[in-house]
Amino acid sequence: MSTVSATAARGQSARRLRIDGWRWGGRFFLVFMLLYTALPMIWMLLTSIKSGFAAMQFPPQWWPDQPTLASYQKLLDPQNSVGQDFLRFFWNSLIVSTATTILSVIVAVPAAYAFSRFTFPGRNFLFFAVLLRNMFPAVIFLVPLFILMRAIGLVNTHGSLVLTYLTFGLPLAIWLLKGFYDNIPVQLEQAARIDGATRFQAFVLIVMPLSTPGIIATAIYSFIGAWNEYIYAYTFLSKNEQLTLPVGIQRFFSENTTDFPGLMAASFMMSVPVVVLFLLLQRYFVRALTEGAVKH
Amino acid sequence: MAHVVLKDLVKTYGSFKAVNEVSLTVNDGEFVALVGPSGCGKTTTLNLVAGLIPISSGDILIGDRVVNDLDPKDRDIAMVFQNYALYPQKSVYMNLAFPLQMRKLPKDEIDRKVREAARVLDMTQLLERKPRELSGGQQQRVALGRALVRDPAVFLMDEPLSNLDAKLRVQMRSEIKRFHQDLKATIIYVTHDQLEAVTMADRMAVMNGGYLQQYDSPAQVFAHPVNMFVASFVGSPAMSLIPLEASTANGSTVLTSAEGWNLELSQSNARKVQSATTSKIVLGARHSTIKLHKSSVPGAIPAKAYTVEPTGDVTFVQAFLSGAIVNISVSPSVAVKPDEQIWLEFDQERMHLFDGETEMALEAY
Repeated sequence: MSTVSATAARGQSARRLRIDGWRWGGRFFLVFMLLYTALPMIWMLLTSIKSGFAAMQFPPQWWPDQPTLASYQKLLDPQNSVGQDFLRFFWNSLIVSTATTILSVIVAVPAAYAFSRFTFPGRNFLFFAVLLRNMFPAVIFLVPLFILMRAIGLVNTHGSLVLTYLTFGLPLAIWLLKGFYDNIPVQLEQAARIDGATRFQAFVLIVMPLSTPGIIATAIYSFIGAWNEYIYAYTFLSKNEQLTLPVGIQRFFSENTTDFPGLMAASFMMSVPVVVLFLLLQRYFVRALTEGAVKH
Repeated sequence: MAHVVLKDLVKTYGSFKAVNEVSLTVNDGEFVALVGPSGCGKTTTLNLVAGLIPISSGDILIGDRVVNDLDPKDRDIAMVFQNYALYPQKSVYMNLAFPLQMRKLPKDEIDRKVREAARVLDMTQLLERKPRELSGGQQQRVALGRALVRDPAVFLMDEPLSNLDAKLRVQMRSEIKRFHQDLKATIIYVTHDQLEAVTMADRMAVMNGGYLQQYDSPAQVFAHPVNMFVASFVGSPAMSLIPLEASTANGSTVLTSAEGWNLELSQSNARKVQSATTSKIVLGARHSTIKLHKSSVPGAIPAKAYTVEPTGDVTFVQAFLSGAIVNISVSPSVAVKPDEQIWLEFDQERMHLFDGETEMALEAY
């Protein structure tokens, strides 16, 4: 009897050890991944508050001797040329990204709804055709799109970028949103239509509020995509006053090769809108969608 | 309230006919159940009446108005869905108020009507809750409230009880019945559960394969099923249907089984059999019309008990006759064991006879 229980106990502890091994392995992996993503950002932040001289030192100063916000002041000062450039690039990026986002939501919402709710000839074909664009590397479309933009006279305009970004963002926006609409029971709309709403009112009053999390997720996705895009912005725009941030910062880098703090400050400020957006709206990502609407 | 008329209603999807020339009239204040197995077209029929899907041909009248091409909102109907379809982002109060807001009623009138409906359904204390904070029965009641708050011409109900647990289902069943009696409401109620239809409806429309099989009061449908489908669908346990061969000799008509036993028919039953187009006859008998004997009696047919299911009030015995399962109910005091030899006596007055080819009930001329 005792030998049996002893064996059982040994088996149990062996199993626990094995589980613990996996668990600790998982933790180490997560910590490693955290450092891997966070350290470059921390280093970016630390460098941005160093003086130009301190940033070049070797061995490096792990913590700046004399922290300074001079780089930020320079970038945000509309009086000097660097600040003027940076603020213009920032503004350009904001315009292009916002326009892309708004247009992509305006087009994706009805498109996704149609794909989710209606059957029409060619529905499946269209739905996969939408994704075709995303099956090829972006660079492949660079030259054709450039020729197209030149033909319709959009080279060196922000419109060319907005149009191009829509070809990236829309397919996935439509796919994402269709998933949300698929999860909203059609009976809710039917109930609304019987309760006196038109088809359009049922969509606006009942379905839209329920799909807000999806729309926000889609919008953020489009915004980040447009905000970070480099290659097309670099190709389509040549006038300095039109550049967006990624291209602008790159130019900034080649002109001020040694100004690491300035570069890092610019990079940091470029990531701020994305992070802020994400923090503000993250609760929408996790909110349970139609909980309590219907019994499953 | 209003009456509803369906005239030769057809709904096709491509070459598939989901609803096939269904015609029926629901009188003002009548409770009609559309009942049938899944895929029989009952929910499609209801959605056609609601206007949620367009009809292929035929006419729908609500009151004296042809509503074929009207939007759901203009048909003056209310609907209760199987999954309740409560608006999850709205409180109970706003759920009840929504149909009134859509009709642009003044605020104070909306408030009065919502509170009245809440009082009737005993959920005044729930008005500020969100649907997800309610139990299944409460959600069901809100769905009912949203339907009645507007005082529509017709109530449409699509399996409103099938998501509730068994006990709550029985309770809500009587609540809906009471609701119908109090409001004198015209109700079209879709269910796959024949028991719900039998217990609640004034008349039941039995459907199968897109066709209306029989439309009559539950008592009539139960006593005089028009064909084998209705006979086996209505009633629980199902009516036993035994395939037999008819023959007439020396003025008496006899049904013979593959196993070799004979059943001599009464005069009226013999006349029914003579009206058949074939000698293949199906004998239908409900469990309560078959008498079980533990010893041989004249006219009784020998069989072996297969399973014995005591339910407390009655004990159900199953046996095989001519390859068909036969259900018999006996008093719990009768002790029957599986595989025991028994004798079954059919009640000639209450047996049903069907044409083995057309599956239609046979009538005497």
